[in-house]
Amino acid sequence: MAEHDHKRPHDESRLVQEHGVRDSRSGLPAVPPITEEVQHLHGDIAAGRTLWGDAWRRLRRNRLALVALAWLLIVLVSALTADLWVGKVFGDPKTTNSALAMKNQYLEPSLTHPIGTDDFGRDVLGRVIYGARASLMVGVAAVGISVIIGLLLGALAGFYPGVVDALIMRATDIFLAFPYILFCILILAMLPPTVRGIGPVILSIGLLGWPSFARLFRGSVLSVKENDYVDAGRAIGASDARLMFRHILPNAIAPIIVYATMSVGGAILTEAALSYLGLGIQPPEISWGRMLNEGSRLIMSHPSLAFWPGLAIICTVVAFTLLGDGLRDALDVKMKD
Amino acid sequence: MADHLLEVDDLTMYFHTRDGVVKAVDGVSYTLDKGETLGVVGESGSGKSVTALTMMGLIQMPPGKVEKGDAKFKGRSLITMKPEELRKIRGNEMAMIFQDPMTSLNPVYRVGHQVAEPLVIHKGLSKSEAATRAVELLRLVGIPNPEDRAKDYPHQFSGGMRQRAMIAMALACDPDVLIADEPTTALDVTIQAQIIELMQELQQRTGSAIIMITHDLGVVADMADRILVMYAGRPAEYGKTDEVFYHPLHPYTWGLMDSIPTHNLVEKSELCPIKGQPPSLVNVPSGCAFHPRCPYATDRCKSEIPAFRIIEGTHGAACHYAGDPDFVRACAVGVDE
Repeated sequence: MAEHDHKRPHDESRLVQEHGVRDSRSGLPAVPPITEEVQHLHGDIAAGRTLWGDAWRRLRRNRLALVALAWLLIVLVSALTADLWVGKVFGDPKTTNSALAMKNQYLEPSLTHPIGTDDFGRDVLGRVIYGARASLMVGVAAVGISVIIGLLLGALAGFYPGVVDALIMRATDIFLAFPYILFCILILAMLPPTVRGIGPVILSIGLLGWPSFARLFRGSVLSVKENDYVDAGRAIGASDARLMFRHILPNAIAPIIVYATMSVGGAILTEAALSYLGLGIQPPEISWGRMLNEGSRLIMSHPSLAFWPGLAIICTVVAFTLLGDGLRDALDVKMKD
Repeated sequence: MADHLLEVDDLTMYFHTRDGVVKAVDGVSYTLDKGETLGVVGESGSGKSVTALTMMGLIQMPPGKVEKGDAKFKGRSLITMKPEELRKIRGNEMAMIFQDPMTSLNPVYRVGHQVAEPLVIHKGLSKSEAATRAVELLRLVGIPNPEDRAKDYPHQFSGGMRQRAMIAMALACDPDVLIADEPTTALDVTIQAQIIELMQELQQRTGSAIIMITHDLGVVADMADRILVMYAGRPAEYGKTDEVFYHPLHPYTWGLMDSIPTHNLVEKSELCPIKGQPPSLVNVPSGCAFHPRCPYATDRCKSEIPAFRIIEGTHGAACHYAGDPDFVRACAVGVDE
């Protein structure tokens, strides 16, 4: 460090800063002098113009995406805080107390039970809120597993062409060839009923969902890899890992974020289907799919028991899709205003 | 012999593609000493950049393959060196500036962060130390308000500013050799002059050797100590700048000189481009690669590959008739008519 300082005397750098280097050919200052006006302009542009800041600004202009985001926040917050208040307001949503069942069975919507009660006299709204916990948990965790596996394999395949790429992509093709939900059913049906529950559901959805992410990310890495700044990174001596994770990944991640957001909805649907078939969440645990399963037996006499969890599923899945859509537009640099 | 900083000896690198063997670098030799500037001149596709990229280990192998020859940096072969060792030289002892500053900076990172990156990679500096140093470097290359501008993103920089930042990044580790690959091609003419000026000034201060790759003889005219003219991957002419400019030996060099627009304000003079296109490197013409475009070509040129011959001191050319006074006289007469 001291050596550098010695080589570049302070005066000179100040000269460069204040007056600019004089260009011998044109006689003009090599650096245009900064007037107050220009500086003001710089300051204005500089105010938080990051790539992600821009994306957020564009997302905020998308009404639908905002409504979706708001709905998801409501669901998330009420699910997270459910233990604190749902029991007090609506009564225990998991009780199988037969005395209570006799008294409160199939109540019409009222102030105390906004959307009525079920065959055990439990408040349906309370159960829908509790059901959101399992549904969101499965959606987010399963997609998280898929994303992690998909990112790693996709990064390797995109970064190392040839044998590595071929092996990974063939494995991806094989996994993609399996009918996804049938495979989940197969895995869960083979498990003994005692271990069924949220864990196996997350794992089976997560471990089968990665191929699309791997393929998507590989394509993204392949296109980003061609950029000059990756060569420039290599030219400053960045290691492969640094190139991949510092230089390529942040530029290649946008499609993954979009697809992951939309996939959460898909995973919630799959969980609902599996629970509906009795292979997913087991009672007394609550999920929307489980509620559909139980409600389906009473669909002729009390259709509202299946309607409300079904509505919750639809709203949440659509919200994730809309948010994903909004993110796609917001993260697309080509659509820059 | 090992006293040269960089010694390229008969370096030959071919790409083995599906369409055939591309003879991108074919027997290039030169030396570079401390503080010296070498200008590498030639049309697009003449192999000037690929030569440098081969030395830096930035060519994908395969499809590229070094067929023969060597490039020694401080006596160590860059060709046979382990990739990991070469990585430690890149950006540290040998740095590179790329052609297009608009795409060579990573859009997701702040400029200061990127300028600091080589220091983090090679010198083990902490983030904050490197950031301080990056501001100094930005000041050195004439960026006004470096403290503020270091926090900007690349899209907030103009083309000239970005190239300054690229130069700052390349100079971060105080390299012995700076390879500038057409650093001014993508810039406005006025900015070009500033950048050349800046590089000269910085060279005087740091004592780095520079390899200036360009297709513009004017750029290297008052900057380079020596000039290497390349054609179709082969060296056409090599010598001290004055020798090449005042006593060019190769008809291709004559052609390059004639195609520089002159600033003749009184009289309009005809621009003399070299006729035809540079040859495809898959099907290099037989004999002298330049013969289809050479107005003075003889039958010998069509059949026999001219060897690179030293005519005087270190000045030489790959032309059968280089240094032949009768040939030059005959050509001069031909032009007058």
